[in-house]
Amino acid sequence: MEQQEQAPNIIIDLIKVTKLYTPDVHALTDITFSVNKGEMIFLTGRSGAGKTTLLKLISKVETPTKGMVEVDGIDIAKIPRRNLYSLRRKIGMAYQDFKLLPERTVAANIAVSMEVVYRKNSFIIKRTRELLEQLGLQSKINTPAAELSRGEQQRVAIARAVANYPEIILADEPTGNLDAETTGRVMSLFHDLHQQGATLLIATHDMSIYNDQHRVIQLEFGQQNSYQASGSDISTQATNY
Amino acid sequence: MSLLSSAFRHTGRNMLQTWKSQVMTLFTVSLSILIFSFFYLSYFNALHIGQELGDDLRLIVYLDEEPSPPLQEEYRRKIKKFDQVEQIVFVSRQEAFLRFEKQLGDDKDILLDIQQDFLPPSIEVYPIKTLDSLSRIKRFSDYLYTLPGVLKVQYGKDWIERFYSFIQLMRIIVILSGFLLIMTTTFMVAHTIRLTLLSRQRELELLRLVGATDNYIRMPFLFEGAFQGLIGACLGIGALYALYNWIILQFSGSSLFQLFPFSFLPLPIVAVLIVASTLLCSFGSFSSARKTLRL
Repeated sequence: MEQQEQAPNIIIDLIKVTKLYTPDVHALTDITFSVNKGEMIFLTGRSGAGKTTLLKLISKVETPTKGMVEVDGIDIAKIPRRNLYSLRRKIGMAYQDFKLLPERTVAANIAVSMEVVYRKNSFIIKRTRELLEQLGLQSKINTPAAELSRGEQQRVAIARAVANYPEIILADEPTGNLDAETTGRVMSLFHDLHQQGATLLIATHDMSIYNDQHRVIQLEFGQQNSYQASGSDISTQATNY
Repeated sequence: MSLLSSAFRHTGRNMLQTWKSQVMTLFTVSLSILIFSFFYLSYFNALHIGQELGDDLRLIVYLDEEPSPPLQEEYRRKIKKFDQVEQIVFVSRQEAFLRFEKQLGDDKDILLDIQQDFLPPSIEVYPIKTLDSLSRIKRFSDYLYTLPGVLKVQYGKDWIERFYSFIQLMRIIVILSGFLLIMTTTFMVAHTIRLTLLSRQRELELLRLVGATDNYIRMPFLFEGAFQGLIGACLGIGALYALYNWIILQFSGSSLFQLFPFSFLPLPIVAVLIVASTLLCSFGSFSSARKTLRL
């Protein structure tokens, strides 16, 4: 009997995605890959390789110049601006520049993502404490974000991204400002969420946070350089080389 | 947490954060309401005075000869065709003589040698005591003069025309101050909201990134505008009430006030002013938020 091909449970799909910034900066060229539900993928490459741009395209902070980005089967280019919230609620993104509100406390910064979906106060308080404990920031709960170190701000940004149990977590250099111990805490949080079914796409150039078991997509000068299947074969895609 | 409770919380926070501009806006809205309602109060009382004075108002149409019953009916029809009237009274030569005699009282002897039909017959027209009616009185008089058989039309021309000019002036001032109210409330509130929006651009961008709906972002600003309108109107009306009491206190003994009582705006008008101000300010903030946030 012929084996029937099973449709993969794809949650993020990029097809020949190109992003140009005026006048002629090629941030990304012909990027094609897909991410299955519940996968944990690492996006690597040097600074300026296009990792941040790629994450921004998936969350529709930027729009591609060419190509298609689908999230959960929906071409996100077709989502009207007024309905963008439905996409953004599926995605929790930890930005490289943190995007914290400096005058607000740590708790208030984390609560923002839960408030917009009208979570109950009791839930918000419980979840905020839980995350701060996991990330070693319990003592900073009432400290204004502006008074935190960069490493602490980074952890607050991560806490806000994951607070609402999003289906997809996009993390841009989440361990860039952290020491080894704190990196361990952050990665442990990500692994917990992965175990709970979240899909994670982590942009990093910290090689210590991933291993052979992980699927890695390497970008170089805006082009997809290599594609490594989870835990097994490494197939290099010759994209424009 | 619901949309409303969240919006109220954000509104409170916004207003506390930008309290200086909030106070300025409240002051402007209150002042506009006070100016408008003061002129409206004056206009409102002037209308009352007009009605009081109008109680004695009548047009006397002198005729060249005694009208027969069919002609009386014809006159009645023509008069009613121009305007609604309270009463039309036909006064014959005889009745006019008797009235005159009564007016003379003890001096009626001077009429002894005079024929009883020397006075012309007349029609007394009592118009409805409304300002619109009063404003048409001259035209009414001119119209009556065109009727066949009419010798002369008399009414208290001078005071009515002066009073009518005064009311017209008041009306223009009320309209202008109403325009001022609309301009200041909508523009001032829209401007304050715009400043708030621009100063909080970073936070609003973040709200969008974490999945806030347009309503979630817009609602606090709408409430902010509504609060400014509501509180501003209440303060303005409160100030007017204080001013009204001061005027009453200052002029309580004057004969003018005894003749024409000066009253405060009735509750329904106060309610309309408050609601209108709230709606105007909400509209100002809504349009500003819509434009600035491009929602």
